[in-house]
Amino acid sequence: MKTRRYAALVSALTAVTLAAACSSGTNANSGSDGGGGTTLTLASVDQGSIEEVIKAFEAANPGVKVTFTTSGADQYQAQIRTQLSSGTAPDVMTVWPGNGNPGATYVLSKPGYLLDLSDQPWAAQLPDSFKQVAQYEGKTYNALFGLNGIGAVYNDDALKKSGLTAPKTWTELLTFCGDAAAKGTPAFALGIQDNWVTQLVLYALAATTVFGADKEFDAKLQSGQATFSDSQWTAAMGKYQDMQKAGCFQKNPLGTSYEASQTLAATGKTLGIVQGNWIIGLLKGKNPNGKFTMTALPATDDPATFLMPAAAGAGYGVNAKAKNKDLALKFITFIMSPEGMKLFNEKQGSLPTLSSAGTTVDPGLAELTTFVKDNRTVPFMDQLWPNAKVQQTMLSGLQEVFSNQATPADVLQQMDAEYKKGA
Amino acid sequence: MTADLQVRPPGRTASAPRTRRRRITPPWWFILPALLLFTFVVLVPSARGVYYAFTDWDGLDPDFAVIGLRNFTDMLDDGDALQAVWHTLLIAVAITVIQNGIGLLLALGVNSLIKTRNFLRVLLFAPAVITPIVTAYLWRNLLGPDGAVNSLLGAVGLDSWRQDWLGDPDLALWMIVLVVVWQFAGYSMVIFLAGLQSIPREIYEAAAIDGTGALRRFWSIVRPLLAPAITINLMLSIIGGIKLFDQVYALTGGGPGHATDTISTLIYKDAFTLGEFGYSIALAVVLTIIVAIVSAGQYSVLSRNEKAAS
Repeated sequence: MKTRRYAALVSALTAVTLAAACSSGTNANSGSDGGGGTTLTLASVDQGSIEEVIKAFEAANPGVKVTFTTSGADQYQAQIRTQLSSGTAPDVMTVWPGNGNPGATYVLSKPGYLLDLSDQPWAAQLPDSFKQVAQYEGKTYNALFGLNGIGAVYNDDALKKSGLTAPKTWTELLTFCGDAAAKGTPAFALGIQDNWVTQLVLYALAATTVFGADKEFDAKLQSGQATFSDSQWTAAMGKYQDMQKAGCFQKNPLGTSYEASQTLAATGKTLGIVQGNWIIGLLKGKNPNGKFTMTALPATDDPATFLMPAAAGAGYGVNAKAKNKDLALKFITFIMSPEGMKLFNEKQGSLPTLSSAGTTVDPGLAELTTFVKDNRTVPFMDQLWPNAKVQQTMLSGLQEVFSNQATPADVLQQMDAEYKKGA
Repeated sequence: MTADLQVRPPGRTASAPRTRRRRITPPWWFILPALLLFTFVVLVPSARGVYYAFTDWDGLDPDFAVIGLRNFTDMLDDGDALQAVWHTLLIAVAITVIQNGIGLLLALGVNSLIKTRNFLRVLLFAPAVITPIVTAYLWRNLLGPDGAVNSLLGAVGLDSWRQDWLGDPDLALWMIVLVVVWQFAGYSMVIFLAGLQSIPREIYEAAAIDGTGALRRFWSIVRPLLAPAITINLMLSIIGGIKLFDQVYALTGGGPGHATDTISTLIYKDAFTLGEFGYSIALAVVLTIIVAIVSAGQYSVLSRNEKAAS
């Protein structure tokens, strides 16, 4: 009997302790992360560049310590949402421009998670095309420091060896593709097993065909005066398919990963690749002696009409409930200063959003720089779409077009349907 | 505190049935600690999660509305979701049949007296200890357009057999099955092998004296006595197949298009790339129900067979 009673006591105690542990766990708040005036917490997706920026920031502000985490975009987006909704988010965090992805400016500022940065001196200096995607309802929330463009990136050595020259018009492009394929080195590497890559060629073509024809297309799309199906998007889709038929891409693009496509272009198995400017750094990583030049992808026969997709990359926002608001703002000021912006963009291979930053641009990006200066760029199309589903529909839809599971018209119709569902 | 009451060393059971100790019935409240732990660690969080299936929560905004069954009715109009359910069931059935078929053949093979059997057992089981995501990335490279599989086919003169294994929507699903079977056939083998080794040699000898053939021996001796191993193997592989995520995500990401999306990859995409948490949780609830129904059904059928066989 004695042992029974003892056992009952033990099990009851265990149960009570457990229940207590569980109930206190729900609103436990770790208040032990230093919180004081000298520690800044930060979460970022800029692996490989943010580390250097933090080092420089710490050196410029003796005694300050930045505690940071970096992760890939998918994982980051999942994590930051959980942290924001549970009040455990860091002081400064990566925020994407505009709308259309789960970590974008509109999405995070709408429920009030981001601090209004409108009174920062750089906020007024941002060029209009960036203000559009850094602001929500007229207030600035995103410190956009860098900008990226999409175009045809050629491997100069491979091009020279093939005896061909980079095409200047749409007609030349198709001939170029045919000639390159005949020589056994296709014109462009295409790695669309990773579905985000599918959009790049389309954006490069749509910049000129859609927005060259009508600069106000996005506004018309928003007001319901235009649709994807009944617009120049059909032409852009058609040209993407024409390129595929002309042999512009290597065989089996759907089985080729982003990684594998870089190897093809870097080692001269293709003459180039249609990608963002960030690819130049990656190609040089695989072929340190290589020279790579980016040009606009021809989409018509009149080079004067060419536009390039160019848009702000992910920037940084400040948590509205930051533990260390002053230091967070100091960090934002640093990355938007000529010194911080130069460092960040040189590490990333991107261009600065403010003309005052004296960044040394890779010589291969001269054409993109000129296009930006001449205001001949169009933001990445998805940045102003009302929800993430439009882009995802396009990405998987393009894979379906390449595997003959759908037609371009189907894809554009589905995109219209998702667009109409709104935010 | 209670663990020593009923435990008997497995080897001795047959020889010592009479010396069994007086059976002690533990009082009901002994279950309390485990029950509480289960309630607070599993039941309560799950129930709270299920609640969100009836909302339009985006994973972020504290302002969300309860929308009743709309997430579930939306699913019926969602071609991607219906397709994913079909892929999930197809993959699960294919994996279950092929993996257990191969696992059983391997077990019969290494249960024989061939000299290298111990080495073979280790070798065949080895893939099962690798993390699935690692094997999937490995195979993604092997199955690439310029990967080892195509190179090998080219080298032996079978150029026309070269395929875009993961880029072809008709093949990609089967490549996922292939990779999972490659990895886990050895796992099934080990369970079958344990079952085979518990069959007393005397029964085979008696059957041999009666002049039975190999097939008859398999059907009348091995199959019924292996029933518990078959049950556990089928359960594990069908549940694993229905929940399959890592391999699909790493090999194809659900593509090309949606050609290899399973319920699990869709749950992930809807939640984390589209921010539709409510809908995604509703999908997860459906997945849970499917797993529960399939495994309960399978268990009752198989255990009936087991009883009939024994």
